[in-house]
Amino acid sequence: MRKFRLKKISQFQRNRLVDSSFLYLGIFCTFFGLIILAIFIGNILKDGLSRIDWGFMTHLPSRNAAKAGILTAWVGSVWILVLTAIIAIPLGVSAGIYLEEYGKKNRFASVIETNISNLAGVPSIIYGLLGLEIFVRVLHFGGSLLSGAFTLALLILPILIVATREALKAVPNTLREASYGLGATKWQTIRYQILPAASGGIMTGIILALSRAVGETAPLIVIGALAYVPFVPHSPLDEFTVLPMIIFNWVSRPQEEFLVNAAAGIIILLLITFLMNGVAVFLRNKWQKKINW
Amino acid sequence: MSIIEPELTALKDNLLDMLNLVINQISTCKEAIHKIDVKLAEEVIENEKKVNSQELAIDRDCENVLALHTPVAVDLRFVLSALRISNDLERIGDNTNSLARFIKHNSKEINKKLLEEFRLEKMLEILSSMLQDMRHALKSDDTNLAKETLKKDLLLNEINKKALKTAEAILKDQSTNAKVVLRLFSIVRNLERSGDLTKNIGEEIVFHVEAEVLKHRKDK
Amino acid sequence: MTFIEAKKVNAYYGTHHVLKNITLDVKQHSVTAFIGPSGCGKSTFLRTLNRMNDYIDGFNCQGEILIDGQDIYKKDVHVEELRQKVGMVFQKPNPFPKTIYENVAYGLILRGVKDRKTLNERVEKSLKQAALWPEVKDKLNKSAFSLSGGQQQRLCIARTLAVKPAIILMDEPAASLDPISTSKIEELIAELKEDFTIVIVTHNMQQAARVSDKTGFFYLGELIEYDKTKDLFTSPKEKKTENYITGRFG
Repeated sequence: MRKFRLKKISQFQRNRLVDSSFLYLGIFCTFFGLIILAIFIGNILKDGLSRIDWGFMTHLPSRNAAKAGILTAWVGSVWILVLTAIIAIPLGVSAGIYLEEYGKKNRFASVIETNISNLAGVPSIIYGLLGLEIFVRVLHFGGSLLSGAFTLALLILPILIVATREALKAVPNTLREASYGLGATKWQTIRYQILPAASGGIMTGIILALSRAVGETAPLIVIGALAYVPFVPHSPLDEFTVLPMIIFNWVSRPQEEFLVNAAAGIIILLLITFLMNGVAVFLRNKWQKKINW
Repeated sequence: MSIIEPELTALKDNLLDMLNLVINQISTCKEAIHKIDVKLAEEVIENEKKVNSQELAIDRDCENVLALHTPVAVDLRFVLSALRISNDLERIGDNTNSLARFIKHNSKEINKKLLEEFRLEKMLEILSSMLQDMRHALKSDDTNLAKETLKKDLLLNEINKKALKTAEAILKDQSTNAKVVLRLFSIVRNLERSGDLTKNIGEEIVFHVEAEVLKHRKDK
Repeated sequence: MTFIEAKKVNAYYGTHHVLKNITLDVKQHSVTAFIGPSGCGKSTFLRTLNRMNDYIDGFNCQGEILIDGQDIYKKDVHVEELRQKVGMVFQKPNPFPKTIYENVAYGLILRGVKDRKTLNERVEKSLKQAALWPEVKDKLNKSAFSLSGGQQQRLCIARTLAVKPAIILMDEPAASLDPISTSKIEELIAELKEDFTIVIVTHNMQQAARVSDKTGFFYLGELIEYDKTKDLFTSPKEKKTENYITGRFG
């Protein structure tokens, strides 16, 4: 009987080597990104953290860097966020549900699907131009929050639709079968079984979309958001400014104090973004716990 | 080919082997009677063990097929009929064995004329022919042949009916040992039983192939 | 009494002719099994009985299917109501990602039952009928996925029973279960027969032989033979049937 001997130079050792090299490569790549991010955040904090105080948050913009505040900007950003959400979420999620659950799966439907995905990649300034024509001029909303919200809603609509559809696709068909088998209508099945099951994915999509909206500047500039707005907007038809715009404005000023202001503004913007993502992850985990394929 | 087929083929081969054994036993017995040859009779008695062990082997094979393959329809009917056929063959072998023992222990008291009166050779001839037909029918699943062969049993019944009168006549004569005559009478009865058992084999073949139960029917 | 009647049923997926001239009838309070090789149409036929095939694009069904004398393919039939009267249990247990209680109560909630007391009673009764009550009565608020495969399948049966169907369709209900769970399901079928009419599709011929009163053999979309189970398994009339059940093909 042949002895069971492992050869010295073996294929197994070679495979092991490749395995561990990839492991180290992966670790390096991961930490590379994290380190860059840490450097960036560290830098920003160093530059701007000291500037943030109650005054910064509640003052109106001013030519005097020390007196300038971001009140109008962050209030504007919040307004835009809320309005965009109110417009885009029902539209986007409903469209996604219709396309995925009710629409016939024929060639026309796949053409639509492709084009919606394409729309998600269109440069945001194009949406700005579209918004300028339709909302600002034709509908006479002017350079207001309403125009801004509608424009951004259009921008993020494709993202919402695609995310909703993907979340719905991920729900296994056996669930639908079980529901129909018990005599549920399509809407009952969607309402009681499919939407709850897809809620995690849809939530993620909403947060991604809104995060994008919060950071958009170009389309808002086109529709007429101003850099220097010395008042807090009170209605959707008021003119407005947003954080990214005021940061951009400050960065282009020659005085060094304004650069510090800009850094502080960036911190606030980052805070808003992280907060939103945190809420989303929390909600997603809470709802995902029940679902367990 | 499904897994059960080799098992069923082996079972059929064993059954045919056993049938051949029994046919040999009968033809050896016939010769033993013809020559009143004790050695031939002893050969039959010796081979009886083989017949019995064949029955046990077939029993075991049937049990295995039933347990492991859960046969249905034609396969199930084949296994059931194989069980019963091997049982019938064993009893035919038993009867043949009794005849051989009779010849061995009473070779001095019997003579050809006595055996002729009871027509033992004729009975063994009919029986042998019936069993050979059944062998062919079993091998080729020929139910027509099986049904035809059933009729030959009538001849054995005839001879059996007359045996009583024959025995009576010989006993009145008083020249022959009464015990021997009575033994011969019961041997005729046994051979008639063997004919019935061979008929059963035919009925089992029909049951296996056509799912028709001929057992206990009056209008066969 | 004939409860389900199929008359010359022909079904198509587009141009593909999947069911050819199926004619059979099922008595009330009986268990009927459909057997046949993969793709022979038995599951398709089962699904015509509760119109689950309606969801497949291009599905077309001709002929009559009568349940208790009514043609279920008539235009004015409410499919949702049909499906509560003709329940279905699927091959792989598919409980909802909700609690055990919610799973069983779902059908009732669909029908608008809101009263807690009624719901509680019906949930308990259904779980008892499905022989699952003793195992879950103390954890009705746990997720359905905390149960084993066999228990999940009985939960799916309980959920179907809760809406009091007349007929229960089972599409290979024990296919993904171990032998002990399988025999529990088979025992359950024997008990349920007294109150319901059961039609079961199975790959497992011994199962069909054990549980059913009548068996239908499907092959390439045709109903080759349909007879009392006893007769079909001891002396089938068609050669194709015999070849299939003795394992000579399929």
